[in-house]
Amino acid sequence: MKKVLVLLLLVVVGYSLYVPLSQIEFGTDRMGSIENPTTVGAYYLSKTPSELSVANVITAIVVNYRGFDTLGEVSVLFLAATGIGSILYRRRKEGEHSETISKPSSQLLQAGAKLIYPAILVLGAYVFIHGHLTPGGGFQGGAIIATGFLLMMMSYKDFHMNHTVLTWVESLAGITFVGVGIGGLIVGTTFLENFMPVGTLNDLFSGGIIPIIYVAVGFKVAAELAGVLDTLLSIKEN
Amino acid sequence: MVVSPVHFIAVPLLAAFLMPILAKVNKNLLRIIPGIVLTYLGYVSVVLMNRVATEGTIIEVLAGWSAPWGINLVYTPFTGFLATLMIAMSFLIWLYSFKFKQVDNQPALKYFILQMMLTTGSVGLVLTGDIFNFFVFMEIIALSSYALTAFYRDRNGAEAAFKYLLIGAFSSTLILLGIVLLYSQVGTLNMAEIAVRMHDVPTPMKVSILILFLVGIGIEAEMFPLNGWAPDAYSQAPSPVGVAFAALVVKAGVYGLVRIVYTLFDLDGTGSFLVVMGGITLVVAEVTALRQTSLKRMLAYSSIGQMGFVLIAFGIGTHEAVFGAIFLMFNHAIIKGLLFMSGSYLVYNTPNKEIKYLSGYGMKMPLISLFFSLGALAIVGLPPFAGFWSKLYILLAAADSALYGLIALILAVSIIEIVYYFRVVGRLYFGKAAEGSIMQKPTVGGVIAMSILAIAILVVGIYPDIITGYIDNAASAILDTDMYIKNVLGAVNEITPVENIIQ
Amino acid sequence: MENIDINQLLSIAVFGAAVGLILIGLYAVLIKKHLIKIVIGLSIIDAGIHLLFIAIGYINNGTSPIFSEKGISLVNEGVKMVDPVPQALVLTAIVIGFGVTAVALSLVIRLYRHHQTARIDQIKTLKW
Repeated sequence: MKKVLVLLLLVVVGYSLYVPLSQIEFGTDRMGSIENPTTVGAYYLSKTPSELSVANVITAIVVNYRGFDTLGEVSVLFLAATGIGSILYRRRKEGEHSETISKPSSQLLQAGAKLIYPAILVLGAYVFIHGHLTPGGGFQGGAIIATGFLLMMMSYKDFHMNHTVLTWVESLAGITFVGVGIGGLIVGTTFLENFMPVGTLNDLFSGGIIPIIYVAVGFKVAAELAGVLDTLLSIKEN
Repeated sequence: MVVSPVHFIAVPLLAAFLMPILAKVNKNLLRIIPGIVLTYLGYVSVVLMNRVATEGTIIEVLAGWSAPWGINLVYTPFTGFLATLMIAMSFLIWLYSFKFKQVDNQPALKYFILQMMLTTGSVGLVLTGDIFNFFVFMEIIALSSYALTAFYRDRNGAEAAFKYLLIGAFSSTLILLGIVLLYSQVGTLNMAEIAVRMHDVPTPMKVSILILFLVGIGIEAEMFPLNGWAPDAYSQAPSPVGVAFAALVVKAGVYGLVRIVYTLFDLDGTGSFLVVMGGITLVVAEVTALRQTSLKRMLAYSSIGQMGFVLIAFGIGTHEAVFGAIFLMFNHAIIKGLLFMSGSYLVYNTPNKEIKYLSGYGMKMPLISLFFSLGALAIVGLPPFAGFWSKLYILLAAADSALYGLIALILAVSIIEIVYYFRVVGRLYFGKAAEGSIMQKPTVGGVIAMSILAIAILVVGIYPDIITGYIDNAASAILDTDMYIKNVLGAVNEITPVENIIQ
Repeated sequence: MENIDINQLLSIAVFGAAVGLILIGLYAVLIKKHLIKIVIGLSIIDAGIHLLFIAIGYINNGTSPIFSEKGISLVNEGVKMVDPVPQALVLTAIVIGFGVTAVALSLVIRLYRHHQTARIDQIKTLKW
């Protein structure tokens, strides 16, 4: 009986989603003229190469135009890590070690993991360092690095993250982000303003503070994701 | 450095990021830091409220891109009033929970960080002028609430938190959907710009977006029938967290509703909807409160009822009604805060927090019973306490709009309120205490916090003029959509840090 | 004529996929009894909405909004760039969705520890 009701509800929901969506023309250009922008999309496309010298417009939006959103997002991540720590907290008894619950893995996996792991870390670092030039950025690069850690954690029973180091990296990266923002307030005129010289387009050191913030975000995301994964894997069941 | 609205968010975030490191250095620091941060923010609030009263709305441009290309913070008399209220309540919550979990410092660290983030999220949500930023701050509030609800190990916190999470995830899904549809129509995310372009959006689309937003934010604002999460969350969470829900989270939810309905959609037709939904919420909640045997659940349902009342007042939409609504929000924060704080101490050691075990506590815990009784008298609207004025103004506004049925409804509900509150008060003072009942001694911080609230209730009750000036400005600010748009978009051609635009 | 047909097909496919994901996720959250399946359902709903959002920003035959050398040459030929704003917003939304999923999973773990079961019909101590 319940299934029938739910299926009916799904049909209703599906139809009520279909109706507004059919009004939206897929693939039409709603941004309007780029030379005289009236929508935010067009404005960002026109101003980014000239004023910010950043090639990846999305990075510019995430870090500069809507940098405040990114600050909120970074705090959401921080909250998730803190919340998980608080929810899963267990008083450590004497001598009890948390251990990963993975079963021992095969020789092939262990050898392969050791081989790929440094490459993954380098790829992740490359992605977040070049966030303003190529697709990618802090979040993407941090996630790649955390995946590398996850690979090692699942292949080796005793590979652990050092939570003290992770906490320090997390906090320092967060402080860098807010600190750069406050720097914008002091040196420039507004919070998170781009107060460093912007350089030329497609250079590694272009975009002012944008690469700096994105590198900090990359470290923070990597540290947080790795910490969360480690916490979730280190659960003894009794 | 010039004081500006961004301090409300940057400073607590900095402190939250610093706290894990500083706590390793010195364990006592983690309790003091929130106090320092909140005191500083209190100072910022005072400065900004003065500035906004004399010079008009403050717009703060962020990252150097003025509206509508960037995000900006909008400090109007209304948003500023709410922000100040939230900071003040957070400070009192900090005082109340100063000695929290003294035994084990690791959970205490997480607790203080989560509380501070809850405050940051609420204040940020109220101050932002951008709709996606609004969504991000809503998620900050949501995540902190989920973690805080599940804080205690030995209660059903995890279950209440999971239920809350499911419903909360629905609400953020709906709001995100609303933002998607809205962006496809207007091409901008700035609230003032959306208000301008809303007129060109075809009506069926407008209705869909409005429904999505109303249901999405209605969940946070505890509108019927979306408030199923609230009683469990309030009763299973630690008591200071319950106060935070009533004083911060719900206020943020109601603000969201009001901002969307008043500014973005310009209120056409939605006013009566709000009145109806508010009325249903009020009646259902108060009747359910009557049937509760657990003190905390009773207070939770009463809180939902008060929010229904606020929604009715905002739905009526006249200046007097909005004035009454904002006054009620203020009163609800301080009175419910006092009730939750004192109520928690009363039922601290009773099984299941049942009321029936409270007989005779009036003699054994005189101060706390006095606080609770004061709160009970205030919330049903008896003079000379603060609650009287807000009820009066809303009733007057309803009379002015010739909504006599509404007046009858509100008075009938007030009788219900009197019944279930005085039931508790009566039990406190008449009746014999059972042997072996253990009283919980309140902490010094708790007593100070409760006293401040009690004094505030008395003072506002006797001299409401202390507050009415600010509330009147706030009411004008929220009703005047055109002024909001002019203020925000007027800074388009200059990149300025803090722009005071004279009204 | 050919181009328009392909774009029609594309629009049905993408919008259909997004709505389909949302409905599947909704089904999982409402019907399934195992807590982890419910959390996965939430994730699927999120994925559907993100897909929808990005689809809104798409422009037919557009290219990605990056001003690399190749990008600049494409723009000079008259190729339009896709709307960058939904992509930036979805970036934020994905991270937020991850945060909620992570907290949900940790709550499931705690519920499992406490009740020794992860099925919702066996955990209802509070009134649902």
